[in-house]
Amino acid sequence: MRSLATCCLSSLLLLTACGGSAQVSLYVALDQEHSEAIVRRFEQQTGLSVKTRFDTEASKTVGLVSAIVEEAARPRCDVFWNNELAQTVRLAQNGLLQAYVSPSAAAIPSQWKDPQGLWAGFAARARVLIVNKDLLPDPGEWPKGTMDLVDPKWKGRCGVARPLTGTTLTHFTALSLLLGEERFGKFVDGLFANDVALLQSNGATMRQVAEGKLAWAFTDTDDYHVAVTKGHRVGVVFPDQGEGGFGTMLIPNSVAMVKDCPHPDDARRLIDFLLAENTEALLAAAKSAQIPLRAGVQGPNDATILGVGAFRAMAWDIAGTAANLDKMSAAFASRF
Amino acid sequence: MPSPHGSPTERLLARLPLALALLFAALFVAAPLLAMVLPTLSVDGSFSLARYATILASEQDRAELLNSVELGLGAAAVAVLLGGGHAWLTHRTDLPGGRWLAPLGVAPLAVPPILVAMGFADFTTVSGFWACVVLLGCCYAPFVAVLAGRGLRSIDGRTYEAALLCRGRAGAERMLLRGALPELLAGAFLAFLFAISEHGVPEFLTVKGKTWHTYAEGVFRRWTRRATGVTEDQLASPVVAALPLLLLAAIALAIVLRVRARASDGTATPLPVRPLGHWRWPALLLPATYLTVGAVVPVVIMGLWAAGSTQRNEPISFAIMRRSFQHALEQAGGDLWFTILNALLTTVLLLAVAVPLARLAARRFGWVDHLAVIPLATPAVLLTIGFVHAFNGPHVAALYDATFDFYDSHAILVTAYAARLLPFGVLLLSSAVRRIPKSQEEAALFADRGPLARGLRIHLPPLLPALASLACLLFVLALRELDTAVVLPSGNDTIVRRLSNVVHFGGEDVGGALALLLLLVAVLPPVLGTLLRGRRLDSLS
Repeated sequence: MRSLATCCLSSLLLLTACGGSAQVSLYVALDQEHSEAIVRRFEQQTGLSVKTRFDTEASKTVGLVSAIVEEAARPRCDVFWNNELAQTVRLAQNGLLQAYVSPSAAAIPSQWKDPQGLWAGFAARARVLIVNKDLLPDPGEWPKGTMDLVDPKWKGRCGVARPLTGTTLTHFTALSLLLGEERFGKFVDGLFANDVALLQSNGATMRQVAEGKLAWAFTDTDDYHVAVTKGHRVGVVFPDQGEGGFGTMLIPNSVAMVKDCPHPDDARRLIDFLLAENTEALLAAAKSAQIPLRAGVQGPNDATILGVGAFRAMAWDIAGTAANLDKMSAAFASRF
Repeated sequence: MPSPHGSPTERLLARLPLALALLFAALFVAAPLLAMVLPTLSVDGSFSLARYATILASEQDRAELLNSVELGLGAAAVAVLLGGGHAWLTHRTDLPGGRWLAPLGVAPLAVPPILVAMGFADFTTVSGFWACVVLLGCCYAPFVAVLAGRGLRSIDGRTYEAALLCRGRAGAERMLLRGALPELLAGAFLAFLFAISEHGVPEFLTVKGKTWHTYAEGVFRRWTRRATGVTEDQLASPVVAALPLLLLAAIALAIVLRVRARASDGTATPLPVRPLGHWRWPALLLPATYLTVGAVVPVVIMGLWAAGSTQRNEPISFAIMRRSFQHALEQAGGDLWFTILNALLTTVLLLAVAVPLARLAARRFGWVDHLAVIPLATPAVLLTIGFVHAFNGPHVAALYDATFDFYDSHAILVTAYAARLLPFGVLLLSSAVRRIPKSQEEAALFADRGPLARGLRIHLPPLLPALASLACLLFVLALRELDTAVVLPSGNDTIVRRLSNVVHFGGEDVGGALALLLLLVAVLPPVLGTLLRGRRLDSLS
């Protein structure tokens, strides 16, 4: 018994050494496969050591946001790199972020930056429609926009992720503000009436379309691009581009410095690096095919993923959407 | 002859394991739970239970709880059918290959339920309540298979033959069923408990206009909203909402303990084998179905993923599979080793903590069993957030500065896993301790040994088979634990966390390879144990 206890304590003590002495702590919600290479590049360039913590799909991309909230009494994270925007803005609204106006963000359009420097956006995904080309071979027949979800023509043949977390929550919350309560309520009723497939995630909607179980669905451009790279016969529609349409929603990555973070100087260097043009170019070239927010930066190799300026972007109320996230997620939970 | 109580130093050392175990429970179970619960008991700075008045106030909450109970009962019924049938056929009859099929009954436990769900979703449309019932029933049937098998082994064959002579076949079978029933029900309750706590599978298996949610999903949903909430009520809501789940689990476990207390002590002459006659080969269908659904299909699907089944660019091939394994090891080889080390250390720590607590429960305070179940009945996410609050904050800053940063180290993950899995250790070992005659320990008092030597040479050896089986179980459960890994920083390096990510982002090829590597690691200890010891790890119960 004693030897067992001794062995345990020794092992635990050994493990304490495994924590390392990182100089800057980065929480990343972007997929590990893509973000890890960029972080390694930063380490090589600066000689700084980065302790990186990644999010999981299991926590629905709010795992790290939640960690920052729970750790607020003694912040552990220096820099938060979110793969979307609304939750970052929510952290800012809750007073958990620290202002830093990075010189690297100078060329990023002002609509994607916080005026006080609490956060900055870069490298976006678009909310698009992924279409199965075998089921819908004629592009003239493809859906055109959000309201096609509730068009009886597509009854039981289209899908969208449940808007409980992630980019779909942001998308639906923004839509609710754009359409107004009454019109949005009718839209949600229409989803159920039209037997729309409500799936677990955008990855799941992509798979259902790629495998021909659905004709089309809402997803993000990165998920669409995965389907393309795997050889599935799918096409993409940037929705709501017609006359009077409200445009395609762009959801950029965002980066922010955590309030009272332990390594503010190194955090600033890392933020400068992440907001540089080069990072946007790397993310555009990667499998996630992110869309650069700066017009001069090379976009994704996949020509079907349009660059900023090549389509009409939705003008969504970022602060309003963030402020309404909790209310809307509670409301959606009772419907979806 | 030395005093049976030994020297003061020996007495102190003999009590040290229990003292350390109690310290562990206080620090890593009670403190995190209190850190979560205490803020919910305060409104405007004064004590209040007002927040708990909102429990089940909404129709949605009540409906979700009802769904959870229905799901739990349905899954338990499926688990009894498959696991109980498997146990009966492999322990009681001349089923071909029964000797090998019996230990394989635990195989589905090595496969995380979400992988089973993903596996089935890959080749067929499975969704909705009943699919969830069947899949979760299959995933948790090993509890029934193992415990029912133990129940059947503990029935004295001579009693059965006596019943056969006096009351005929039907009467003898009824006696058999009565004898095995406590263990069978204990397994069913464990299946129920795990099914009602599961939030990933019900969510995954729901498409097209969700018509039902489970209560565990509701608790998880509230946790995700802690990130955006600002008011005290919003922050407290997942903790408050977890209470019904905790009570439900506690009731189920109390019944388990009560029913199991009636189980036989396990010293029995084996039952006579019942010949199946011309049903001998067709009877293989049940274990085959059980193992196919719970283990074979997910493993085959993961294998196909690794071989490139989700791609359209290239046909499925061994070359792709080899490439997937290469990529998996390149990307996550370090994570795999970390996960194995973490599971091993968790197992060792947990055994060290569980043995003294189990002895305390079995010999002195039976209620320790009931207290020990709390970490399993509490949603893992909430228990782990309790760890964040208890071990990260200004209150520990000075201590960390003087020693080491426990929160930022891997040690916190080992302790969190051990705390989460503590109920298995205590419950299974206390059951094993109870089966050892007390007279044996009383006689040991007169042996020419001090308390320490008695503990190591007399009390511990009869527990070794149970410890070996428990170690295998804990190792497997520690390998697949995800919710705890999601919240703690060092969980970042676990393989299940990476697995859940790569699969999400279209990396099914690498994900399939990672899942197979994880399963291989999971089945190694029981297989090695069986081979080395030449018999089944049958003391799990």
